[in-house]
Amino acid sequence: MTDNTNIYKPLRAKLTEVVEESPLIKTFVLIPEREFIFSTGQFIELSVDGVGEAPFTPSSSPLVTDKLEVTVMKTGYVTNIMHELKPGAVMGIRGPYGRGYPVKSFEGKEVLILGGGCGLAPIRSLLFTLEHMKDKLDKVILCYGSKSPTDCIYKPLFSRLNSIDKFEAYRTVDKAEDGWDGPVGVATSLLDKIKVKIENSVAVVCGPPIMMKFGTIRILEMGYRDDQIYLSMEKNMSCGLGKCGHCMMGEFFVCKDGPVFTYKEIKHNPEIWK
Amino acid sequence: MKVEIEDLEKIKFFEKFTEQQLETIASISSVREFAVKEIIFEQYDELKDIFVLLQGSMSLGISLPKDKRIHLGTIEEGQLFSWSAIFPPFISTAWVMAITPAKVIAIDARKLNAEIEKDCDFGFKTMSKIAQTISHRLSDTRFQLMNQLNL
Repeated sequence: MTDNTNIYKPLRAKLTEVVEESPLIKTFVLIPEREFIFSTGQFIELSVDGVGEAPFTPSSSPLVTDKLEVTVMKTGYVTNIMHELKPGAVMGIRGPYGRGYPVKSFEGKEVLILGGGCGLAPIRSLLFTLEHMKDKLDKVILCYGSKSPTDCIYKPLFSRLNSIDKFEAYRTVDKAEDGWDGPVGVATSLLDKIKVKIENSVAVVCGPPIMMKFGTIRILEMGYRDDQIYLSMEKNMSCGLGKCGHCMMGEFFVCKDGPVFTYKEIKHNPEIWK
Repeated sequence: MKVEIEDLEKIKFFEKFTEQQLETIASISSVREFAVKEIIFEQYDELKDIFVLLQGSMSLGISLPKDKRIHLGTIEEGQLFSWSAIFPPFISTAWVMAITPAKVIAIDARKLNAEIEKDCDFGFKTMSKIAQTISHRLSDTRFQLMNQLNL
C-alpha cells in the first residue's frame, strides 16, 4: 500500500525486466520496496520521476506480493518514456485503487471472458486468480481478439491455459499475416463456437471501448442478464481517490466505484461507451 | 452421403428444432466433403444449397479487382453459411474456401424454402436462425470496420 502519511507519495519499485509483447506493448516487471497487495481488477498509478504517472491494472497474479507486472501500451507522452526505460530504472507505484472483480462470487460458476487488444493485461491477472481457485469453478473460457498475430500479447499464455483442466482459450485476429493458420474475425465471432451454461455463468469483458460495446451486446444476446456481465472500465483515472473528477462517469467515479462494474450498474449511463 | 438426425442434434443451429423438423431437414440434405483449398463457391455464384459446417474450418472472403482475394472471417464448426441461397436473387455475397479438410451438411435451398412456406413453426425457427447469422455477420463487419478505421 501507499505510505499512510501521504496518499500521493508513491512506493518505489525497481524495474528488473522489460518484456516486449508486441511492437507497441511492453510488460514491466517491478520489485516494490515492500510487499504490494492488490485484488485482481484493481488499478495502480505507475509513475516515472519528473515525467508523470498513468493508470494501469497489474497483469500479474495478486497472489505474488513481492513482484508486480504491468503491461503498458505506448499511447502518449508518459507511456512513450516508460517504453524507453531499461532494467535497473526506478518507478513509482500508487495504489491499489478501486473495486476489482468479485471473484468469490464466481465460485461454482462458469466464467466467460471476452478480451481484446491490451485488455488482456487485466484479464491475465484475473486468469491467474481463477487458476488458483479452479477447484471451485465449473469452467473458464477465454475468447480473445487482436488486430493481427503480431499484436497479440502473452502468446504462450494460450497454450498454457489450454493445458489446464477446466480452461479453454481461443484467439482470433482481425487480419491474418503469413504463417497464421488460426481463425480470422473479430473477438465476438469466437462467441458463436463456445458452449456455456448461461444460467450458471458470469461474463467478463475487457478491451477497447468498441470491443466492450459490441461484446456486451453479443453477450446479452446469448442470454446473459445484465447483472451477470462484468465490465472493466478505463476512464482516464488520475487521483485514484474520487477527488479530481477526471474519471467521472455519470454518478460514478471510475477510480473509486470501479473500474469493475456490472453492466446493470452502468447500462443507463450515457458515457458508458465513450 | 445421407444426413443422420444425430448429426443435426449436435449442431447449435438446430437446437430448437423438433425431431420431426430435423427429419425434414435430413430428408432434403446431404453430407459433402471438401479438400484443403477447395472453393465451395465463388462470390456472385448462383447458389443452390445452404451449408452448415460439420467438421473443419473454412475461410470466407470477398474478391477485389485484379484477382485480389480478401479473407474476412473464418467459419467454424456448427456455423451456417451460404444464406443467400434462400433469398432472391440467390447470388452469393462472398466466396468460401476450405482451409482444412471439411465436411458440411448441404441443405437444398429450393426444398427448404418450400418447407418454410408449408410449416410456419419450422419457417420461423429457420428464419430466426438465419437472421441471427446475418445479424452477427453485420455486427462483426461493423466492429471490424471500426477497428480498421481506429475509431
